[in-house]
Amino acid sequence: MIEIDNVHKSFGALEVLKGIDLVVDKGEVVCLIGASGSGKSTLLLCINALEPIARGRIVVDGIDVHSKQTNQDKLRRKLGIVFQQFNAFPHLTARQNVALAPRKVLKMPPKEAGLLAEQHLEKVGLGDKIECYPAQLSGGQQQRLAIARALAMSPDYLLLDEVTSALDPELVGEVLDTLRMLAKDGMTMIAVTHEMPFAREVADRVAFFHQGVIHEVGAAGALIDHPKEARTREFLGKIL
Amino acid sequence: MIYTFTANDLWFMARGAGITFVLTLVAGALGSVMGFLIGWARTSRNPLLRGLLGAYVDIIRSIPLIIQFVLFNSFMAIAGNPLDPFTSGIITLSVYISGYVSEVVKAGIESVPAVMSKAARGLGMTYAQDFSNVVVPIGMRTVFPAWVGLMLGLMKDTSLIAVLGATPPELLRASQIIINRIQEPLLILLGAGAFYFVMCYVITLFAGRYEKSWRQKHEVAR
Repeated sequence: MIEIDNVHKSFGALEVLKGIDLVVDKGEVVCLIGASGSGKSTLLLCINALEPIARGRIVVDGIDVHSKQTNQDKLRRKLGIVFQQFNAFPHLTARQNVALAPRKVLKMPPKEAGLLAEQHLEKVGLGDKIECYPAQLSGGQQQRLAIARALAMSPDYLLLDEVTSALDPELVGEVLDTLRMLAKDGMTMIAVTHEMPFAREVADRVAFFHQGVIHEVGAAGALIDHPKEARTREFLGKIL
Repeated sequence: MIYTFTANDLWFMARGAGITFVLTLVAGALGSVMGFLIGWARTSRNPLLRGLLGAYVDIIRSIPLIIQFVLFNSFMAIAGNPLDPFTSGIITLSVYISGYVSEVVKAGIESVPAVMSKAARGLGMTYAQDFSNVVVPIGMRTVFPAWVGLMLGLMKDTSLIAVLGATPPELLRASQIIINRIQEPLLILLGAGAFYFVMCYVITLFAGRYEKSWRQKHEVAR
């Protein structure tokens, strides 16, 4: 369970998170929607401690993420993250990309890590690209590689930061299909997304961010089809 | 008595070329290790460390190498610790090239997109694991050609060690000694130039082959 309690965060004078409260249960899929700059992506980075917070608390499975006593490197193994920008390591093959963290972090023998990598690459549909370098892959394939790489660490949670936003429209589907499959497998996910049909179909709940606060949160279908707040209606009206 | 170019002279120049090569190798290796550490430290968050090392690099890059040779050598002598010309020369060359290498290393580290490190840390890697497995391999490949250029420059800079009167002489000083005797400056300098060219070309060739082995497949798709 991820418990986010009154989280505040500023970049310089700009307060990007102004008291966020959200609880995500195991097995749940929560989509974060809202205009860019509303703080959705920043919250993801705060959840796995890639960004510090100014006030409040984030607790993952009973561990206070931002406490000084917390080993954040160890904590991040439970929290896989995939970004909008392509982030496959360009100097490594697909297999090496996926095997790197299991080898270095979990001290897995290279052969075992290689086999694990192959399993996860096959799972995301890249079984025929195992020896390819990222430069030889399409954007959609690179994002699926990044997902496989996160899954190889057997995370309990997956944080997805607009993973389809940098993709050409025709490549979005293959990445969303991969995420659908993970949702079906029961993976707990927090996804920042602009893909409303995807959110409606896959998410249990949707949270609408506006200027650093969660303006409205509710069951996915209800919130997207019948938003209660005027601002939510306005936002959805613009992008649907 | 007629002075002519003899086999002995050719041997003298070849030995000079060998010394030039060894000077380049030793100073290049020491200077690159120092430069890597300095360049890395210059990407640290500590403003004092960054400022001090930045000043160090500015000073080293702004004073002509020949002055640095003389100053360092004289300083050691005055301090009661005279060094032999080669030792003094190698130290000066290493420190000198380390300033330039640090700039290249810093640029290399900074060229790695921040999302690469975020991805690595997000997988649970420590700072050290991210740095050694992701940042360094990606960044250093980017600046490898610039580093090779520095090493080629260093090879030619080794000739300035002549001001310290190091014997046996390296390639350029050896050539000048022969010129003084046989008064054939054009011929000898042409020969010296050929020696330098061959040595540089060998380095360029190996560097090019090494670079080609990864360049096509690793290049970041943009």
